[in-house]
Amino acid sequence: MINRVLSDAYPDGGLWRLEAYVGSGGYEAARKALGEMKPEAVIDEVKRASLRGRGGAGFPAGIKWSFVPRTTDKPVYVCVNADEGEPGTAKDRAILTHNPHAVLEGLLITAFAVGAHDAYIYIRGEYESLARRLEDAIREAREKGFLGTRAFGLDFRLDVAVHRGAGAYICGEETALLESIEGRRGEPRLKPPFPALVGLFQAPTVINNVETMASVPLIIRHGADWFVQQGLPRDGGTRVFTVSGAVVRPGLYELPLGTSLRELIFEHAGGLRPGRTLKAVIPGGLSAPLLRADEVDITLDFDSLSRCGSMLGSGAVIVLDDAASMLTVLNVIARFYAHESCGQCTPCRLGTAWIWKAASRLSAGQGGTHDLDQIVRVAGAIKGRTLCPMGDAAALPVIALVTKFRPELEAALHG
Amino acid sequence: MVEIQIDGRALCVPEGTTILEAAKRAGIEIPHFCFHSAFPPEGSCRMCLVEIEGQPKLELACSTAVRAGLKVLTASPPVAAARRDVLEMLLAEHPLDCPICDKAGECRLQDYYELHGRFSGSFKEAREKRAKLVRIGARLLLDRERCILCTRCIRFLAAYTGTAELGVFERGVRAEVGVFEDRRVDNPYSGNLVDLCPVGAITDGDFRFRTRTWFLDRKPSLCPKCGRGCSVFVDVVCGYPLPPGERRLFRIRPRENPDVNGSWICDIGRYAYRSDLTENRRTQAVLVRDGEEILVTATEALGRVIAAVKAADRAGRRERLAVVLNASLTNEELAAAKEIFIGGLGVGRLAFADPPADRADGRLLTAERVANARGAAGIGFAARDLDLKAWAGSTDALLVFGSHLLDHGRQEELGDALARIPFKALFAAHRNPLDKLMDVIVPVPLVAEKEGNLTNVDGRVQSFKPVWPAAGDSLAESAVFGRLREELG
Amino acid sequence: MSLSLSAIALAKVDAARRRYPRPQAALLPVLQIIQAELGHIPVEAEAWAAATLGLPPVRVREVVTFYSLLRRRKPGRHIVQVCRNLSCTLNGAENLLSRLEEKWGVRPGETSADGRFSLLTVECLGNCPEAPCVQVDESDYGTVTAEALDEILGGLD
Repeated sequence: MINRVLSDAYPDGGLWRLEAYVGSGGYEAARKALGEMKPEAVIDEVKRASLRGRGGAGFPAGIKWSFVPRTTDKPVYVCVNADEGEPGTAKDRAILTHNPHAVLEGLLITAFAVGAHDAYIYIRGEYESLARRLEDAIREAREKGFLGTRAFGLDFRLDVAVHRGAGAYICGEETALLESIEGRRGEPRLKPPFPALVGLFQAPTVINNVETMASVPLIIRHGADWFVQQGLPRDGGTRVFTVSGAVVRPGLYELPLGTSLRELIFEHAGGLRPGRTLKAVIPGGLSAPLLRADEVDITLDFDSLSRCGSMLGSGAVIVLDDAASMLTVLNVIARFYAHESCGQCTPCRLGTAWIWKAASRLSAGQGGTHDLDQIVRVAGAIKGRTLCPMGDAAALPVIALVTKFRPELEAALHG
Repeated sequence: MVEIQIDGRALCVPEGTTILEAAKRAGIEIPHFCFHSAFPPEGSCRMCLVEIEGQPKLELACSTAVRAGLKVLTASPPVAAARRDVLEMLLAEHPLDCPICDKAGECRLQDYYELHGRFSGSFKEAREKRAKLVRIGARLLLDRERCILCTRCIRFLAAYTGTAELGVFERGVRAEVGVFEDRRVDNPYSGNLVDLCPVGAITDGDFRFRTRTWFLDRKPSLCPKCGRGCSVFVDVVCGYPLPPGERRLFRIRPRENPDVNGSWICDIGRYAYRSDLTENRRTQAVLVRDGEEILVTATEALGRVIAAVKAADRAGRRERLAVVLNASLTNEELAAAKEIFIGGLGVGRLAFADPPADRADGRLLTAERVANARGAAGIGFAARDLDLKAWAGSTDALLVFGSHLLDHGRQEELGDALARIPFKALFAAHRNPLDKLMDVIVPVPLVAEKEGNLTNVDGRVQSFKPVWPAAGDSLAESAVFGRLREELG
Repeated sequence: MSLSLSAIALAKVDAARRRYPRPQAALLPVLQIIQAELGHIPVEAEAWAAATLGLPPVRVREVVTFYSLLRRRKPGRHIVQVCRNLSCTLNGAENLLSRLEEKWGVRPGETSADGRFSLLTVECLGNCPEAPCVQVDESDYGTVTAEALDEILGGLD
C-alpha cells in the first residue's frame, strides 16, 4: 500500500510500471473519487488536508481548485508543472522517474474535481528521457482504460499530453508556463486575472507542481485527517527534500513537514565533511534567502520559514560549509537570475543585469565596499516592483547574503 | 459608479475604470511608458506603480481597476522612490544621446527624469553593446541602445495593423527588438511607430537631424486626403532658427481624436500630404501665352476670369459656361459655388474632378480619396462625371477648381478638348502637365492653409483653421467665390 | 521555402498539431522535432514552421531566441552541458570547465575543433545531490570528476 509520494518507489522500487503500481493499491483513489465522490467533496477533502503547493509558492491546492468556476462554457484545463528549475531541486525528477503513475492518478483526481478533460504536463526540456518514461506511463494508463474517453469505464474523459520545455527557468512560473504551452515566449502574465479564471487558451486552468499532484491520491486514499497527521495542521503531508552542497550524503529525503532542519542535514544527510564547519544553509532553493549557521534551529514548514525571513519554496536545502566563498555564491546567484530573466519588466531585466555585472567586477577584484551597498540598493529596487515573483527571487537572496555576510564579502574584496 | 480617493481628492468614476484613467480625469498624470490607451495594459515598464493606502505593495495604475473606497497615493515617498528606481535602471543602459537624438524635447524618458528623477547616475558597469542604426523600414530607423523595450511598437503591429513585422528576440538584458531576416516594416500605418515610441529608439529617416522639436510650432489641422478627416498636427517652424521671414513645414502627426482617428493617421496623411504641402507648389498667378507663363497679380488674373464669365453671360450663353469643382472644397466653398454657378449663373455644365476612389483599408483610409464628398452631397451636388470631350465643342469658358483633370481622361484627349475651349482658367495648388493649355492660372491653398468646415465619411462636421497664411498670391477658393459673387451680383 | 524533413518527422509534426486546440501551441514541439532531425534550426526551418502553423515568421524567431535549448547554429556531433549553478559550483564544476578549456580546448559556447562536441554551461540540471552534473546529449552524469569527464568525452564519436 503506497502511503508516500516517493519513498515507496525509490530507489528503483519498480512502481513506475503500471502493474506494480496497481498492485500496491495504485489508481484505487482515482477510481473512488470518480466513481463515488462528487467533485466538490474532492475539493473539500484536499482543502481539509492542508496540501500546500510544492513547487515553491506554497499556495493551498484545494483553495486554488475552488477558484475554478463550477459552470463555464469554456473547457477547463489542468497543467502539471514539471519544469523543476529551482536550483537545488531534484525531487520532481525522481518522482517522475520512479512514481509517474502517482502523478497521473493525482491528475485524474484533480481533473475530476475541477471539471477538466484535457491536461498538459509541462516538463523541462532537459528531462528528455523522463518525458519518454512519462509518455510510456500515459500509454499504459490509457491502454488500461484509466485515461482516455471513459476513465475506469465511467462517463469521464481525460486526455493527457506531455509538452516539453526548452530551457527557461521562468517557465516554472505558472503564467509563463501557460505562455510557453501556447507557443510563445515564456513571459509571465499580469495577474489578475488568475489562471483559475483565465488560464490556458484563456480558459479556466489549474496548475500544480509534480509533487503536489502526486500527493493527491494519498489524500483520497487515506483521508484528509491522515494526511494532516503526516505533517502539521496548516501544512499537511510529507515533503521530498533535496539536500545538496557540502554534505556527506546528498540526496532526496521524504520527511514530515515540521521536521527540524538540523535533523535533515545532520542525521539524514550525514552532516558535513570531516573538518568542516557549517557556514550557511539555503533552505528552499536558490530563491530562498539563506540562513546563517546560527539560524538553522528551525523546522521545515511554510510558516516557520516565512517567520525567519526565508521560505520553504521547493524544499531544496543547499548546505554551505566554511570552504564556500560567499563572493562566489553571490556571483552564482546574480548570474543565474540575470540569465533567466525573461526581460519583460524593467526592474528585473535591468536590475539583475546590473547586480550581475557589479558582482562580476567584484570577483575580478575591481570593486569596493560601496559596491556592496549598491548591489543591495539595486536589489531593493527590484523587490516588490516586478511583474512576477522572480523579481523577489532575484532580490531577496542577494539582500540576505550581502547583509548577513558583509564582513566576509568585504574581506574578499581586498584579497 | 465607484467612489474613490486619489491624493486625498474624492472622485466618482464608472466601474472598471483603471487608476490611471481615473487619475487622468482628476488632472493627475501618472507617468507610464508601456501603457497606451489603444491597447490592453502591458504592465511591464513598472513606471505607473502607485500606493494604495493599507497595502504594503505598490500596484500598477494602468491595469488596476478601481474599487469602492480605494485610496490611492500617486506622490508618496514610496511611489517617488519606485519611479526614481525605474528611471535609474532605464538610464543606466541608455546612451547619452540627447544632444543628437531627434526625440529630445518630446521624449518621455527626458520628461520623466525632469519630473521624477533628478538623481546622479551611479551605474559604473559596462553597458550592453547594441546596434544603433538598424533600418527596419523604408523610413524607419531603430536604435537598440535607446530602446526601453516597452513593446508598444510590437503590439501596434500585432494588434492594429496585423502585419507583425517586429518582435522581441533573446531574453533578459539581451532582449532586443528586431525584424525577421530582411523583412521590413511595410504597412500603411508604419509612421505611427515613431510617435508611439516613447523615446528615440524608432525614428523617422525623413526627420532625422533636420531640426529640434522645441523649435516646432504644432498647429492643429485636418487631413484632406480621404473622407476620414483625421485630426492632425502640422509641425512648422516660422522664423528662428530659420532665416528671418522663412518658414518650413517639417512633419504631420496624428492629433488624438477618440471620435475619428483615435491616436493614428495613415502614411498617406503623414507623408503624401506633407509632399502635397511642400512640393511642386504654385504660389504666383500667371497668364499663359503660347505655352509660356507670365507672372501677374492674383487680382489681375481673377479680373480676367471674371471678364470671361461676364462675357459668356452677357452673350446669353450661360449654357456656354462650364465649371469643374472638386470634393475637397469646404462646406462654405461648396455652398458658395452652388449659389453662384447653379443658382446665380444657372451653369449647365458642372462636374467634379477628383482622385479616383480606391480600396478602403479597413482602418482609417476610406475608399473615397477626397475630403468632403459628404459635404458635396449634403449641399446637393449629385455626382457628375466629367466629360470634357463632350463639352469641348460648345463651351466658351471653362473654370477648373483643382488639380485632378488628369484623373478623368488621357492627357492627349484632355489636351485636345481644352484646345477647343476659348477660355480656360485653372485654380490649383500644384503644377500639372495640362497647365500650358490654360489661359489663366490662380494659385490656391490646401486645406492646411485655409479655414472652414469639412464633413467626414460619418457625417461629422469638422472645423479647421489655417496652420499659416497661404503663400505668395494664393487665393482661397472662398475668396474667389466671394469676388465672383460681388462682381456678378 | 524548402525544408526536407523525414516522413517520420512530418508525422510527428502532424501528431503535435493535433494535441492542441490552436496551431501556435504546436510551435515549441515542432521546433524540437526540427532540431532533433537537423541538429539546429536554420532560417528555412523558421520560415517553414511559420508557414505550417500560420504564424508571422517573427513570432517563430521570438521563440527560437528565447529558449536556451533551441539552437540556430549547427552544433558539434554531441552536446555537452555542464551545470554551473550553486551545488555544482560548490562541488567542483569550475574544475570541469577548466579541464574542458585546458585539455579539450573548448570554452562554453564553442564547439571542439574536430566537431565532436559543443559545450554549453547551464543553470541547474535538476540533479543537485549528484553535483557536479554534466549532461551529454540525453545522458545524465553525476559526481563527475575531471578524469571521468575525459573518459566520457573520449568515448564520443
